[in-house]
Amino acid sequence: MPQQFEQPQSQSQDIHEDDVLTTAGTDAQQQGEDQSDVLDSILDDIESTLETNAEEYVNSFVQKGGE
Amino acid sequence: MPQLRDSGTRALHATEPVPSAEMDGFCRIFGVETEYGVAVTGANRPVDAGQVAMTMFQPVVSRSRSTNTYLTNGSRLYLDVGSHPEYATAEARNPREALAQDLAGERVMRNLALKAQRKLRESYGGQATIHVFKNNVDSAGHAFGCHENYLVRRFVPLETIERQLLPFLITRQLYTGAGRMTPDGFQITQRADFLDEAVSSATTRSRPMVNTRDEPHADPDAFRRLHVIIGDSNRSQWATWMKLAVTHLVLCVIEDAFRRGGSSGFEDWAFADPAAANRTVSRFLDAPDAELSLASGASVTALELQRRYHSAVESFVAGHREAMDAALAGETSMRGMSESTAAVSPTAVILEQWDRVLSVLEQGDYDALADCADWAAKRRVFKALRHRRPDVTFVQLEQLELDYHDIANGRLYGSLADRSQMRQLLTADETEHAVHEAPQDTRAALRGRFVEAALASGAQFSADWTHLTVTAPERREAVLLDPFSAASTSEFETLMNTLR
Repeated sequence: MPQQFEQPQSQSQDIHEDDVLTTAGTDAQQQGEDQSDVLDSILDDIESTLETNAEEYVNSFVQKGGE
Repeated sequence: MPQLRDSGTRALHATEPVPSAEMDGFCRIFGVETEYGVAVTGANRPVDAGQVAMTMFQPVVSRSRSTNTYLTNGSRLYLDVGSHPEYATAEARNPREALAQDLAGERVMRNLALKAQRKLRESYGGQATIHVFKNNVDSAGHAFGCHENYLVRRFVPLETIERQLLPFLITRQLYTGAGRMTPDGFQITQRADFLDEAVSSATTRSRPMVNTRDEPHADPDAFRRLHVIIGDSNRSQWATWMKLAVTHLVLCVIEDAFRRGGSSGFEDWAFADPAAANRTVSRFLDAPDAELSLASGASVTALELQRRYHSAVESFVAGHREAMDAALAGETSMRGMSESTAAVSPTAVILEQWDRVLSVLEQGDYDALADCADWAAKRRVFKALRHRRPDVTFVQLEQLELDYHDIANGRLYGSLADRSQMRQLLTADETEHAVHEAPQDTRAALRGRFVEAALASGAQFSADWTHLTVTAPERREAVLLDPFSAASTSEFETLMNTLR
């Protein structure tokens, strides 16, 4: 059955082999700066999400039932 | 809705003996049931989310004549009451396999959603967007679940498990909680405020933390199925793996103590008021040192209690590691884990991860958990966003939080993962493999073969966890009672022959 569905998009999970928080021994300050650069990029990535109507988005999600 | 009932398979199958290796050892069957929420934005006129969920399931219905089906990977895909798409993983013998199956479920849902979205846009405009949330609360405060299933040995009374496990489950949320923005502040869990009754058979108004639903889908004289509903849905792969792995270790200690007639060490750790403790733990960030009252009259912080469980389990493992490793033999190494330890002992890897996360929490360095604990990942992004945009509103943070859980069109989680800010234990290829392939060391392997053959032959079929049925042209059935066994039976072969 999964074959009947389209092939999933790659989430590019393979690209980054290194595990950021296990890079022990990195200069702390350097790492701090890297982290804030990365966070900046992430905030850039979600900028368009925040430009949509947040109220409409949140209120659109009303679910019934479950569990 | 879960009901208190005994297994319907008892009378039928009580005669099959359970191999002693399974009863004596530490092997276990793991499963995760995830309910997803559906919403639509950007449509040029109102759309009913229930209708959208039905559209998502159109390929399922045209294949199975039902919104309830099993996949070639052995998992169950269905549309639950209230239009919740739901996915229940095939039987797994270890947490890594269960994680792979759960991630496969995300992919299946995503593919269904994107296909439905293309159809939706023909009628509702090119901006119509389907959101599929792997979370636990909607905007109106309806809560829904992510349920973990553990096959446990029936000789342990349910009351013992509840009493000894519940304090662990409540404090486990320190690293498995998914986090939630509330008007009263950021909590580390999604649902603490919705789980008011500690342990009970379910009713429609109470939401138990451990459910007494008892359909083992196995020999009911040997096993029961522990149905844990207190956990949050996790995007973090590490968190999904971790909650199953650590809970397994604690269950091993409880089972072995009962088997030997000895003490687990957890006897006196029950909370005086579990629901209150649960709410306090959820507000961990407001008061990390909050004391939780035990029924014994003592008090302890959430973190201290987790440390006690860790120490007790560590001591236990020291005396049982070989047998415990044997039970998890299929647990191959994962990315980001200590490879050398993994090669030696999958049990040691779990203990090591557990110790690390508790140490980081003890140091109060919550950002150091942002790559593995969902709540910490969200919290770090929210902090950065508030720094950049001091005028960011509550509803924007709510939106961003939902976006994190949107497995169809969300951006935040993908951005974190792409930028190496979330640990990816499994590769995309490993997840894709699990979309098609059942675990090969459980009953799921046979179910997977059956579904594949039934689809190829065009036969009408139905299934549940223990039964495989061809319904037409001639009704044939095979019963698979032992979830640990991937070995074919003559009944199964006869059934398969009708599909050739």
